[in-house]
Amino acid sequence: MSYDQYPPAAPPPAGFPSGQPATPPPSNYLVFAILTTLFCCLPLGVASIVFAAQVNSKWAMGDYQGALESSNKAKQFAMWSAIAGFVVGVLYGILIVAGILNFGFWTS
Amino acid sequence: MLGTVATSRPVQAIAARWPRWAAPAAVGLLAATGLALLAAVDPNEPGHYPTCPSLWLTGLYCPGCGSLRALHALTRLDFAGAAQMNPALLVALPYVVWAWGRWLWSSLDLGPPRRWLAPAWVIWTVLTLVMAYWLLRNIPALAPWLAPAGVVAPALT
Repeated sequence: MSYDQYPPAAPPPAGFPSGQPATPPPSNYLVFAILTTLFCCLPLGVASIVFAAQVNSKWAMGDYQGALESSNKAKQFAMWSAIAGFVVGVLYGILIVAGILNFGFWTS
Repeated sequence: MLGTVATSRPVQAIAARWPRWAAPAAVGLLAATGLALLAAVDPNEPGHYPTCPSLWLTGLYCPGCGSLRALHALTRLDFAGAAQMNPALLVALPYVVWAWGRWLWSSLDLGPPRRWLAPAWVIWTVLTLVMAYWLLRNIPALAPWLAPAGVVAPALT
């Protein structure tokens, strides 16, 4: 996302007044966490929401490095969720074509 | 969508050749295509889409259960039907649309970059609500309001 492409947040230099550093806050990828929870893989979605909350709480506390680390973890979880969704979809396709699973009694 | 998440060099090299609004535009187009498919192929009829693996394995509903049928109802502007399938989707969808709009807006460089973050307790509350929703929609007495189509979870019948 474009607003994630700004340089990583650096701690404010010595003597810099307390408050926000000169860079925008890192993304918490909350929208991916919500999409994962509602459309893909709940455990990954729950973990993503935890990391999203950490980004905001660490940033608010002035732990800019920690916020960036949580942001990167949230990004990795978003990526793994997308991969997991794709792999499960392909496995399902293979199992259905092979006749091991038939199409569901309940829809998703 | 993966291209925006992964940060490998080839992806960035390809991304550099396109305008920044290409990614949100492509995601919007993909979502519109998916909704058109969902409008045409009814998930309420069995045999059109496979059962969610977690429902198939556990017989319990997760917070995402009924999302496909809720979106199908929304393509018909049937808000009551969508709420019957997955009320959480109805609540989350405006946020998803807003986040996409913000992504598109920032890719067009129309405004200053974001400097404000929501307080963390907002997100912790979202997490608590998701976990509570997971539990509550599997309680048979609450099924008429929270379970997809009001049907008690298969594992509990």
